[in-house]
Amino acid sequence: MAYSDKVVDHYENPRNVGALDKESSNVGTGLVGAPACGDVMKLQIKVSAEGIIEDAKFKTFGCGSAIASSSLVTEWVKGKTLDEAAAIKNTEIAHELALPPVKIHCSVLAEDAIKAAIADYRRKAGLPEDEAEKAAG
Amino acid sequence: MNASAVAQLVPCWSCKGPVASRALFCSVCGAVQGPGAIDHFTRLGLRPTFEIDQDELERQYFGFQRRLHPDRFAAKSAKERALSQSQATALNEAYETLKDPLKRSAYLLSLLDHPVDLTACGTINDPVLLMEQMEKREAIAEADTPDAITRLSAEADTEVLACQCHISAAFAAGDLDEAAHLTIRLKYLVKLADEARTRKTRMTRAMR
Repeated sequence: MAYSDKVVDHYENPRNVGALDKESSNVGTGLVGAPACGDVMKLQIKVSAEGIIEDAKFKTFGCGSAIASSSLVTEWVKGKTLDEAAAIKNTEIAHELALPPVKIHCSVLAEDAIKAAIADYRRKAGLPEDEAEKAAG
Repeated sequence: MNASAVAQLVPCWSCKGPVASRALFCSVCGAVQGPGAIDHFTRLGLRPTFEIDQDELERQYFGFQRRLHPDRFAAKSAKERALSQSQATALNEAYETLKDPLKRSAYLLSLLDHPVDLTACGTINDPVLLMEQMEKREAIAEADTPDAITRLSAEADTEVLACQCHISAAFAAGDLDEAAHLTIRLKYLVKLADEARTRKTRMTRAMR
């Protein structure tokens, strides 16, 4: 199985690798893992007073597809509102990176990671956690 | 579980006489039988428990495989050659599943109607495990001396063994929730130990 050019690009030049201060009140942290691969992914967002994601960082221990998925998501969420970021679907990630079926779980992991980071931020900020669902419904 | 312990009888395809569903050969006409719909433990003549005797597993497996060696079927009919091959394949699958503690644990849980899906796409919601694994994977990635990585690798191997002991205890106590939880933990620990070993090999090679 060959990785797509986009996966290779994100794998070789991952965007936004690193960490934000998880104790900070305007930082949300999502930590997820899938039993399928035994990998772990940490995705963090820094949210402005206006509710816009200003910065995003990730650290992933996993295969190329998992690294590429989380790298891509950090790029996508910057400048988005929380609701917009929460609406990102794993199918969009998988499509953008042309992930093969056996690597779809990597994109699921990235979607879950951003959702977990948003939920963590909302919890800290005292916002209702199901805001995204209400907005979508 | 009790059902698998009882020898189920099916008709032999060749002489129609009764034959145990786990038998390789018909005791009446001697014809090789196809692999019956039985669990991996029964297939290898073992009790369905997490704690197994590795030597017995090997003995059973290689004993059965010897009797199915293709040379023994060279002069037999095409049907018997095909059946002996499917028996050999079924035995391989049973052996590969049972010899690996992680696969054995997951398989036993599914037999006990308490499946844990290790191929699941979904993410696990166990912050303690994830935090611990994140920190340990970081430590392995950052280890910069052969001594440091050797120590981390040994620690990871020890944790794998400790987790297997805990799984064994959970099964013995009939606590399947705990066994399932620990099986997912074992999956992560095995991965961690693999990563540590890979890095150790690479690092000690580079030092030479």
